[in-house]
Amino acid sequence: MKAILLVTTGMMLAAGVDAAPSTQVAWTPATLDFVKKGDADRGKTLSAPCASCHDGTGTNPNLNGQLPTYLYRQLQDYKSGTRQDPATIMNAMASTLRDQDMADLAVWYGQQVPMLGAGGATDVTGIAERGEGRRMEPACSACHGTGGQGEKVDTPRLAGQNAAYLEATLLAYKSGQRANDIYSRMRLIAGKLSDVEIRQLADYYSRLK
Amino acid sequence: MSRMEINELERKWLFVSLAMIGMFVGAIVVTAIGKGIHPPSHVETIDSASLHLSQEFAEDKLGVQPEPLADGSLQVRLVAGRYGFYPREIEVPAGRRIVFRMASMDVLHGAHIPMTNMSTMIVPGYVSEVVSVFPKPGEYPMLCNEYCGLGHDHMWSKVTVVAQENWREPATGGKQP
Amino acid sequence: MNDATVNRLTLFNFWVAFGAFGLACFFGMYQVLERSGLFAFLQSPAVYFASVSTHGVLMAFVLTTFFIMGFGYYTAAQSLRRPLWNPPLAWAGYGVCLFGVALAAVPLLLGKASVLYTFYPPIQANVFFYLGATLLVVGSWFWCVIMLVMFAQWKRDHPGETVPLPMFATAANALLWLWTSAGVALESVFQLLPWALGLTDTIDVGLARTLFAWTLHPIVYFWLIPAYIALYCYVPQAAGGKLFSDLLARAAFVLILVLGLPIGFHHLYMDPEQGAGWKFLHMVGTFAVAIPTLLTAFTVIASLEMAGRRRGGAGLFGWIGALPWKHPMVLAAILSLLMLVLGGFGGIVNASYAMNAMVHNTAWVPGHFHLIFAGTVVTMYLAVAYKLWPELCGRRLYSDDLALVQLWGWFIGMVIMTTPWHILGLLGQPRRISAVQYNSVLTLSWEPYELAMIAGGFILVGSACLFVYLLYKTQTAGGKVDAREDMEDAPPTGRRHG
Repeated sequence: MKAILLVTTGMMLAAGVDAAPSTQVAWTPATLDFVKKGDADRGKTLSAPCASCHDGTGTNPNLNGQLPTYLYRQLQDYKSGTRQDPATIMNAMASTLRDQDMADLAVWYGQQVPMLGAGGATDVTGIAERGEGRRMEPACSACHGTGGQGEKVDTPRLAGQNAAYLEATLLAYKSGQRANDIYSRMRLIAGKLSDVEIRQLADYYSRLK
Repeated sequence: MSRMEINELERKWLFVSLAMIGMFVGAIVVTAIGKGIHPPSHVETIDSASLHLSQEFAEDKLGVQPEPLADGSLQVRLVAGRYGFYPREIEVPAGRRIVFRMASMDVLHGAHIPMTNMSTMIVPGYVSEVVSVFPKPGEYPMLCNEYCGLGHDHMWSKVTVVAQENWREPATGGKQP
Repeated sequence: MNDATVNRLTLFNFWVAFGAFGLACFFGMYQVLERSGLFAFLQSPAVYFASVSTHGVLMAFVLTTFFIMGFGYYTAAQSLRRPLWNPPLAWAGYGVCLFGVALAAVPLLLGKASVLYTFYPPIQANVFFYLGATLLVVGSWFWCVIMLVMFAQWKRDHPGETVPLPMFATAANALLWLWTSAGVALESVFQLLPWALGLTDTIDVGLARTLFAWTLHPIVYFWLIPAYIALYCYVPQAAGGKLFSDLLARAAFVLILVLGLPIGFHHLYMDPEQGAGWKFLHMVGTFAVAIPTLLTAFTVIASLEMAGRRRGGAGLFGWIGALPWKHPMVLAAILSLLMLVLGGFGGIVNASYAMNAMVHNTAWVPGHFHLIFAGTVVTMYLAVAYKLWPELCGRRLYSDDLALVQLWGWFIGMVIMTTPWHILGLLGQPRRISAVQYNSVLTLSWEPYELAMIAGGFILVGSACLFVYLLYKTQTAGGKVDAREDMEDAPPTGRRHG
């Protein structure tokens, strides 16, 4: 993966082409309104093929109760390729969706009862609640909400999420494999976490109710 | 003493007050008009929501710019967002005029490098432009000094000022450390 | 002696004001402890910013608005010697304000309105916070109307006579507040409320800040005018002298009213959404409005000097020692003026257009406004309470000595707390941080100052508790006063003064 990145960077420098932004989505009032007005009933119909994978197993995320803005942007990023699914399934799925389909799906999943953790969450790292000044690490809760419920505009809900997915995601940010965070914000944060801390944080958020 | 009379002492004090205030305002007028010293008042709008899609604040255009401006100053482009200034570490030469151009991608922020006059508010929807010269090499923190959310305490970046002879111009803007 | 309706109304308003004050001091105490980083179990940005927001709202909006309303009703009835116009309207205003406070308190205490008292869009608070704050402002407009109607009625009934000074100043304040509060009301009704209700998705932050700046400096004069009324009308008499010049006092109030309005942009010096020209104009206005304050300081100090000399003080400074330092009103005035001088000096730095960049949004700024507001203004509020409580309750002050201890405590605590703030500001510490997380050598030098602030905070909280205790004991256990004794201490009025 690193080799590919280096090659692409080299090519772009040679050609004098600008690097692609990490997402093509901008949360202008028009886009916000478009997503808000998504049709949940249509989204329900469209979601039929999603359920087989998004059932909380493996490293697949649970989508119920996720912020519609977050879901919409991820689908757009999969389609435009700024987020790469290692298995390429999501890129293929998203390429068939129109903007309206994405908004409908996002609203449908956003309306579902959120995933719930098993409880017993303790923040062993101290980073979820307090952050760490020495490493310039803000607390996770500062952006993702004190209960990990997600915040406006498109900071995702983490509470109750599949731990394996959370861990894989943080590792992907750390390695740079996932790069659809604007201005590298999550890459910078995850890059300073140890793999052990990543596992502990994933466990913590998966347990939150 | 009648109610409608101004005492002689009071009259004198009134003149003293006016002279004092006049002196303060006069000093500011001289520095503002004579030397062009103004607070950062760069009224320039930008769409904060699509900052990352703009020409100027695209991710690979941030940081110390490789091309100096016409007057020899260096331009530094930074994006303020919860909770950092991006790129989070920059290196600039001492003694050189530096033009910071900053924009917010989300909420209100403020940027201040303590012990220097580099300070500005960063308001969503506007580009802030502030000029400073750092005489002394060293490592400075750039602190967010405007409440921007629960991670506000963590919002800071590193500015390393190096001696002019040790400074090398960056190959591209926007390199994140 | 005012009638029972006015006394009740004043007392009810004052209790809300001083209750909020006492409570807010505890939030302040928590903040200095949390910020120091010495007590790990207290550390929480969420609690800290909820606390700062609550402290700010209680002190700057609740204490001030209710105190000013209560004091206004008292002053109008007392100085005009006429019953209150339309008491039901006054009670309705009180109810609207109180309902607003209760409405805003819920999200504030739940941490759903941690937007500080200056609102901070686009960080969004719960809609009930904006609604509550708006109602508090709307309720205070009832008070403005009553003050202006009483002023007009008196003028109609006394053609050619000069309105008594306290009422002149109160009417100026009502006018000032009507104009001043319009900025925040517009922001609230047309921007914050529709946005918090979800009717609009985005908010124009530049416009919101400009509207808030409209309110956010003259509001300081809304708070200050009652303190000046006490300085002009109560202090000279309490010291055993008389007001140096009535005309200049009136001129000062008019100057504050006129010059206090176009200066709010000095809060936006460092903002990108206003051009240098506008900032420059507001800078001139900011300096100009220092003139009435300089006049006030002169007149009050001169009248104190006359009193001191009349009491046998001689020499250049002998009159200072001869002043009745044991009179709460006189002591409060001396301490208040001292803090005004110190805070005013800091204010000139803040007002200085480009120099402000060095201290903007640093700890210097809370240092400055705690000296001016919590120091100068609140000290006079406390002294007014000590003067009025016996009149309102018909009982003697529970203890004069404890009142003096309380005032000294407030002064000493405030000096101990604000001096480190000023130094930290010069060292670049931002205001509004809940902990020092910066991994930088510079920030190590901040630590000792945080300790001093804790000491100041403890003294202040002790002083505030003593104050509330004294009011309570005066009302419940003070010795009875007869009506004649009470009249001797009445404020000067235009007629008696002429």
